[in-house]
Amino acid sequence: MKKTFTLVIAAWSILSLNLFGQDVEGFFKQNCASCHSIGGGRLTGPDLKNVHLRKDESWIKNFISDPQTIINSGDVYARELLSDSRGVIMPKVGGLTPFIIQSLFDFIKEESAKEKSKYGGSAITDRPLTPSDIVKGRALFIGETRLKNNGPTCIGCHSVAGEGLLGGGLLGPDLTNVYGRLGGKKPLAAWLASPASETMGPIYQKHPIDEEEVLPLVAFFKDKAVSNVSVAGVHDFNFIIFGFVGLAIVLVLFDLFWGNRLRSIRRNMVEGKI
Amino acid sequence: MDIRSQISMVFHLDKCIGCHTCSIACKNIWTDRKGTEYMWWNNVETKPGTGFPTRWEDQEKYKGGWELVNGELKLKSTSKVKTVTNIFHNPNMPTMDDYYEPWSYKYKDLFDAPAGDDQPTAKPISMVTGEYMDIEAGPNWDDDLSGSPIYAENDINLDVLSEEQRDQLFAIERLMMFYFPRICNHCVNPSCVASCPSGALYKRGEDGIVLLDQERCRAWRSCISACPYKKTYYNWNTGKSEKCILCFPRVETGQAPACFHSCVGRIRYLGVLLYDADKIEETAKHSDHELVDTQREMILDPFDEDVIRDAKKNGIADSTIKAAQESPVYKFVKDWGIALPPHVEYRTLPMLFYVPPMLPVMSSQEGDSVRSINEEYFPDFEKARTPIKYLAKMFGGGNESHLRYVLKKQSAIRAYRRAVTVGDIDMLNAEKALMEADCHPKEADKIYKLTSLCTFDDRFVIPAAHREEAIEMMKDPLEHKQEAGFGFREAPERGK
Repeated sequence: MKKTFTLVIAAWSILSLNLFGQDVEGFFKQNCASCHSIGGGRLTGPDLKNVHLRKDESWIKNFISDPQTIINSGDVYARELLSDSRGVIMPKVGGLTPFIIQSLFDFIKEESAKEKSKYGGSAITDRPLTPSDIVKGRALFIGETRLKNNGPTCIGCHSVAGEGLLGGGLLGPDLTNVYGRLGGKKPLAAWLASPASETMGPIYQKHPIDEEEVLPLVAFFKDKAVSNVSVAGVHDFNFIIFGFVGLAIVLVLFDLFWGNRLRSIRRNMVEGKI
Repeated sequence: MDIRSQISMVFHLDKCIGCHTCSIACKNIWTDRKGTEYMWWNNVETKPGTGFPTRWEDQEKYKGGWELVNGELKLKSTSKVKTVTNIFHNPNMPTMDDYYEPWSYKYKDLFDAPAGDDQPTAKPISMVTGEYMDIEAGPNWDDDLSGSPIYAENDINLDVLSEEQRDQLFAIERLMMFYFPRICNHCVNPSCVASCPSGALYKRGEDGIVLLDQERCRAWRSCISACPYKKTYYNWNTGKSEKCILCFPRVETGQAPACFHSCVGRIRYLGVLLYDADKIEETAKHSDHELVDTQREMILDPFDEDVIRDAKKNGIADSTIKAAQESPVYKFVKDWGIALPPHVEYRTLPMLFYVPPMLPVMSSQEGDSVRSINEEYFPDFEKARTPIKYLAKMFGGGNESHLRYVLKKQSAIRAYRRAVTVGDIDMLNAEKALMEADCHPKEADKIYKLTSLCTFDDRFVIPAAHREEAIEMMKDPLEHKQEAGFGFREAPERGK
């Protein structure tokens, strides 16, 4: 019994390794492409073309496995990278194993050698943003228009300058200045095309934001970053009013449900109401 | 046949003098603790009256007991769905005002008050809040007040009477009242047990006493709504419900429960009944008018060979069967048929039976004078002050024939005894009356004896409890044979 179990486990591991071998491209696309291009210039993070010539292999592998630690260790090159990306720290990607890191490294090296990598340029059209994009982007952000692939609406977790009834969600970071933070149109578009954070990644992997929807959202974020209005106070007040209205509704419902409960028999009887 | 034994009771209402000794005996033993001040596991009500808690018989409001829905027995108060939807609030419970706010007096003021022009008084203080309070009601507020316009008139059993009959009840010299002592009925089909979401209530296998496990109770208070007799009470101090335990520690040691033991009028009888548990559901499903009869059929003859055999097969001890054969309750309920269950229409199959009272008209008012009309000592009970309809509502599930039978028999026996002891009634007539009342001189003598000359041992036939056997159901006593004085009463956290 135990032997069979061990065999099954071993077979499964080998199979999964092989499967991963075929899917390193998918992994890159999912976890790296939102911030890095290969030969397409800088997005949020640096262009990875020929990265293996810039630093030695072990440094690169260490950095992939835990960027924060390397940055904290005071490594000069890592600090430089951080300031280049305007302080956006590369997140630690979940589920990394030495094997996957090796595969990624090889994959990048391979793609660098190509004349034109698939990841050499953003798939997003370079057309300029229009005012109608802003309107469309707002509708997508606050959920007036459903995302085409049924992904959850941004406002569920994020806020942008107090848009929406209650000022947006509080689970994710405030996105008012995300346009500037990530470094403009191109990096932001790349991020939206395949969000790589631990929370958004698994959700939008199944329901990606459509290419047609990315530019309007970028336009919307840009507009907000430029106008930069703060309306937090108004929303705090709304929140309290909303709370009171909700309480009143709940109390009315309670009364409807339990209005017929027994209140008093003797007193009613003595007062002649029975 | 699934034969079980049940400790059952008969209260003879003709003998009750309304002295409340039973209530006090019970309170002194069981409910003089904090949180139980308002509880009266035993209480005595005046009828007509609204009782304790106020109008407890009004199941339209309190939703106690069972009802037949499409031929199925359903609890009136709750269901699986209602248990969830009413999880924060049980909607049909009596309020504290419906019971009463228990109070004491500040007696200390009688001694400590400074000298003044008036005598010091002891003001009432609430035993719940400790504040001064105005006493507005008590557990027996309408004691003896049968004619009171509020409490007596609101007796829900009077609703079956016509306007004229009602008016008569409150006319001078027609006023009638009787006492109605109540304890937990230890029902065969208890709705409190069925309603408990925690499974804290249970009916004891060996003697049918309904108990409430204090460790399992989670204060849902479903039993308080579900019991149509309002005989489970919530202890606001411990957060657990409590109820009459039929003084089981006394019963197990061969003593009558405290209220029985102390009864001045000797109205209380206690004995074993054997019944067929397979028939409970079917019995409780009959119409209101049939319930008294079907419940009686469920109770089995302890002399029947088959019954004895099946009872033994079910583990009922020989001593219990013998007690069932001598049971005064069996005689009142089955042999003589003169004890009836209270409000049998609640379908809980109560195991406390009442001998209904006789209240003959003694005099009548004509103009300004009151004239005695008892030329006959035992006038027709149809003309009695208590309308049969009213008694039938209380003790017959609305079926008047049972009440006619009981009252006729009792009346005939009185006439017969008068003929025997005084002789101013013709014996032949008396015996004829007995025959008409489905009785004969031998039976009349027995009824007379058990009613009037009963000794302690006649009234209480308590079987040996056989706790040693009952405990074997839960654990092996031999396991602990050599452990006396060792081990833990409650196992420690570690090393169980």
